[in-house]
Amino acid sequence: MSNGLDKNQLVAVLQVLKKYNLKSTEEQLRKEASLTEDVNQDSDVSSVLTGYKSDGDPETYEGSYIELKQFVENSLDIYKHELGMILYPVLVHMYLELVYNGHTDKAISLMEKFGPEQDSYYQDDLKKLAMVTRRDHMNGNELTDTFKSNQFIIRMSRDTLSLLKRHVNDKKASVLLNIVQEHLYFDMYEGVARNKRQIEATSGAVGGEAKRQDNKAKVYYGIPKAPDIQILSAPVEDEEEASEQDNPDKPKKKKSKKDPLLSKKTKSDPNAPPPDRIPVPDLKDNDKIEQLKARREASKRTNLGPENSPSCCCYTLLNSNYTICCAEITEDSSMLAVGFNDSIIKVFTLVPQKLKTMKSADKLQEVNCDVEDVLVRMMDERSGESSRSLCGHSGPVYSVSFSPDRTLLLSCSEDTTIRLWSLQIWTCLVVYKGHMFPVWDVKFSPLGYYFASSSYDRTARLWATDHFQPLRIFGGHFSDVDCIQFHPNSNYIATGSSDRRVCLWDITTGNHVRLMTGHKQPIQALAFSVCGRFLASAGTDCRVLIWDLSHGHLVAELTGHEKTILCLAFSRCGNILVSGGLDCSLKLWNFTKLTEEISSEDVNISHNPDVKTGDEYLLRTFETKHSPLISLHFTRRNLMLAVAVFDAISN
Amino acid sequence: MSKVGESDLYGTNFSIESMKVIAESIGIGNLQDEAAKDLAEDISFRLKHIIQDAAKFMNHAKRVKLLQSDVDSALKVRNIEPQYGFHSKEPLPFRFASGGGRELHFIEEKEVDLGELLTNLSPKAPLEVTLRPHWLFIDGIQPTIPENPPPVAKNVQKLESVDPINKKPMKETSGKPSTGKQKLKNVETVQIKQLATHELSVEQQLYYKEITEACVGSDEARRAEALQSLSSDPGLHEMLPRMCTFIIEGVRVNVVQNNLALLIYLMRMVKALLDNQSLYLEKYLHELIPSVTTCIVSKQLCMRPELDNHWALRDFASRLMSQICKNFNTSTNNIQTRITRMFTNALQQCDKIPLSSLYGALQGLSELGTEVTRIFILPRLKSIGARIEGQLEGNLISNADRTAAGHIKQLVIKIMAPIIKSVKNPPDNVEEYKQDYGYLGISLHAAVVKARTQLTPITSLPTVSNVTNTTTPSSSVSQIINRPLGSTGIIQQNNQPNRTIVMSTQQQQRIAVQQNSQQKVVFMPQRSQTTNVSSQGNSSNTTVVKLVSTGQTLNQNKFIQSTSQKLVVMSSNQSYLNQQQLQTQKSIDDFTDID
Repeated sequence: MSNGLDKNQLVAVLQVLKKYNLKSTEEQLRKEASLTEDVNQDSDVSSVLTGYKSDGDPETYEGSYIELKQFVENSLDIYKHELGMILYPVLVHMYLELVYNGHTDKAISLMEKFGPEQDSYYQDDLKKLAMVTRRDHMNGNELTDTFKSNQFIIRMSRDTLSLLKRHVNDKKASVLLNIVQEHLYFDMYEGVARNKRQIEATSGAVGGEAKRQDNKAKVYYGIPKAPDIQILSAPVEDEEEASEQDNPDKPKKKKSKKDPLLSKKTKSDPNAPPPDRIPVPDLKDNDKIEQLKARREASKRTNLGPENSPSCCCYTLLNSNYTICCAEITEDSSMLAVGFNDSIIKVFTLVPQKLKTMKSADKLQEVNCDVEDVLVRMMDERSGESSRSLCGHSGPVYSVSFSPDRTLLLSCSEDTTIRLWSLQIWTCLVVYKGHMFPVWDVKFSPLGYYFASSSYDRTARLWATDHFQPLRIFGGHFSDVDCIQFHPNSNYIATGSSDRRVCLWDITTGNHVRLMTGHKQPIQALAFSVCGRFLASAGTDCRVLIWDLSHGHLVAELTGHEKTILCLAFSRCGNILVSGGLDCSLKLWNFTKLTEEISSEDVNISHNPDVKTGDEYLLRTFETKHSPLISLHFTRRNLMLAVAVFDAISN
Repeated sequence: MSKVGESDLYGTNFSIESMKVIAESIGIGNLQDEAAKDLAEDISFRLKHIIQDAAKFMNHAKRVKLLQSDVDSALKVRNIEPQYGFHSKEPLPFRFASGGGRELHFIEEKEVDLGELLTNLSPKAPLEVTLRPHWLFIDGIQPTIPENPPPVAKNVQKLESVDPINKKPMKETSGKPSTGKQKLKNVETVQIKQLATHELSVEQQLYYKEITEACVGSDEARRAEALQSLSSDPGLHEMLPRMCTFIIEGVRVNVVQNNLALLIYLMRMVKALLDNQSLYLEKYLHELIPSVTTCIVSKQLCMRPELDNHWALRDFASRLMSQICKNFNTSTNNIQTRITRMFTNALQQCDKIPLSSLYGALQGLSELGTEVTRIFILPRLKSIGARIEGQLEGNLISNADRTAAGHIKQLVIKIMAPIIKSVKNPPDNVEEYKQDYGYLGISLHAAVVKARTQLTPITSLPTVSNVTNTTTPSSSVSQIINRPLGSTGIIQQNNQPNRTIVMSTQQQQRIAVQQNSQQKVVFMPQRSQTTNVSSQGNSSNTTVVKLVSTGQTLNQNKFIQSTSQKLVVMSSNQSYLNQQQLQTQKSIDDFTDID
């Protein structure tokens, strides 16, 4: 690097400091750099930050692109497809350079000539880029900023890369050389060059593919054994049984049944994180009762499979033309929360028990705090209603999430806030203001206490219910983070973004530990498999992709939907994956078959497995009546619940 | 703006002219070309950005249509003040217009009558969102309930009927997953032509039994329910062949036994099946058409032709036939042509066929439209006249034949008068009419003259009803108006859902059945005795013309005034009710009825 460049950068830094009124730092830096002369005005910050300084002859761009294209086309078949990957980023950067340097006509003709022949999944981005025709359009433009400030990552075999390097050096095409050096990053690997299908499977994301380095960290994807509740809560259980005295045979039976159930779980998973990896508040007595209840329910579960088709109860929302944004069902399937466009949240009860509110303060004083059913007694019996509304947001509510103990509800909205609601007194408890832009998704951790949110501001954040500020901010996505999901062991969160990448973050460190590319459109739904090893993601590109978290490989691509997929769910037994979306259909996929086939293959980090496709995993398809599916859920006994919105207008 | 091609990366930009127009609208008179160009470019860029952002909000609201609120949110994100006051709950209905080489998409802005707004101070409350739980599938089998889509879509039913190989094996349609055994079979065999099986489950058999019993039973309320079920339930397609067989066999037996009531019930079943949107009926037309035809032209349909009102059945069946023609006529099956030919053949030998058949053929043709009537009936008026002249003028004729002839005359005058009026130019000459139309000439002449003098009410009436209810086909309007006084009337309103037609052969004067909200009213006066048939026949035209004026006997006049007026208004009333008051019901009905 020359001194001149250094100086330029320093000047830019000084300018930034000046802009933000950081005087002492500015002076300090000025002294240290011995830059006493006044900053010349024309070296503005943006020109330093962008890499487009080359003043190559605008006439040569088209020629060098054609030359590169010919080189790719004339190369040997085995290298052809890998080499082809550089065409798109080179075109984009050539275009941006031309636009930046004011040669708009040349840029447009270049784009019109070569834009349409790029891969179909790049067309959306090219359209967005084509909107940029002047230098000032690039200010604050999400996509151009991404291209400017990040290197486009291309994975290439050693042979292909050396071939390319030789070509670039031979030609001495300064334009091309500059772009390759400045804006492309080649992630080289040993071995045979990939074929077209392998390349297509993982390409499509903004910013290129994931580096191998991104997926090297170890992920504790296993599920830790459940804390031994039985010993802790022995008296609690007795009480439970005491209340079931009318049927004396029953408790005994249960006890004998429960023991093997619990002993099975004591087998510890080698991939599970240590139980104290993340701090979690202690379980309250109430939670323990709840967990016991859940396990008892789970023991009555029917296992689903291709031979044992599930049943599905569909909750169709009527009279709701274009007003419903989201819906969620509690873990125990007792309540349904719906978020509306007009900023209201409605909670419906799905069981005969009505939604009760707490007694007033003076009446609460009369309640004896020592009785064991104090939680029941403090509720006002006469206040039961079948649905309740929560008002407070000032924009569409894009996501709602119940806490595991069902006393709290989180919601996020276009008004940039996240709200925590009490489902006992039916009011807002906390407003979390941290995101500066609309919040797209919010999820409670499976253990409670923690929750995660994702936003238009391209970040995901981790929060704890008792902190106003986020605990972690996960930055790195190039575009909106559209959806978020907690790993079942709560140690990781997955995010899906409009930059078409799926990312797995470690909540203890805040680093990304998996970066997965392959989607061709924004991602709308994420679901972790029951075993914790696989992640399913789906979105606007109408495909469900299955990722193996152990190495971050794409293992399967399930196609069949015709419109955006909005929701995914695994059955409680983990055998079936369900997807539903705007095409008003619900598809059942045979997940057992998939996992069996994957585990039989030998997979390591450098060996990409073949991506499985095809109809053989599709078990069944069910249609609803003009009702897009917005939420899917399995009860503890494996009955499927779906939430659909009847579309009366377009039918 | 021109249409954007698929691969067009650059799309469209604002034109300089648009910029100038917009500038003028805010008072900037002389915008320079350069400035306009720069503005156009910049504004296009910004607009595209905002739309791109608005699409994000649309996606997250899980919609496929962009609403104004999305644009507002996109503006808010960019710290621009949203466009207040542009709110509609539904996507804007863009209208398209072209002309003079230009294409234009625009929003139709209706004028709002402020006076009306002020008087209607209570605005409609938005409907409450309701939650309806239902089974989507049970153990992998989707139940056929109104909340679910019909098990076999119409186009699939069509495919099956056209090409039985395409019919999926029973295993899949009934929802059971295929087993490994099944697969093996498919591998081994070269090609098994699947048999189209029509097994009915126990529930379906029960349903079939209940429905058929209710349809031909004596309980009118149950029948209404059964017909309602037939006309709206999805998933009847598996029972359809059996239903059709039931109807065909029923017609066959009851024609022989002259059981008028049962024939009417069976025709109403046909009507219900025709109304069911989820059925692909084409497959069974070859069976249904002969049965319906029988009910139109059969020589005898009742025990006492001189007393029983089999004319109503013929009228009703004729309307069914025209509905079949309208719904199913294609260039390959030529149903309309074939049916027209069938009736015309009957007319050609009008000397030989019984009078009741002649009536049926005439009615059947007239229901097929005025064009058919003009081409096929008009030239034959003379021979028809000759045929009935003998019956009406002669002395040694049975009562039944006299009645039949009277009906034919009445019918001919009713259907021909408007046509002749348009064919012939005034002045009307009685002699000319006599020469052209023989025996019927005089009556036709009288009717036409009457029609001409009463021109105003005739033209005004249908327009009035068209205004009040634009969806009412004009034919049904005229049906209502043209209903002969005192004759049996089945008054239909073709545009109404949940129609129930109630016919009765009991000796009641009028039965007015009004069921809940969406029902229509059916008047069923028993035909009055035969003595004054001819006079009524003559006056039937005056009825058309003189809806508002007098000219009938007091009692009858009152009746006709009240009924026809009420009915015309009713149709509009009902749609009004539908929109205004029954909204909740409607939306839920939409979900359960329409698919």
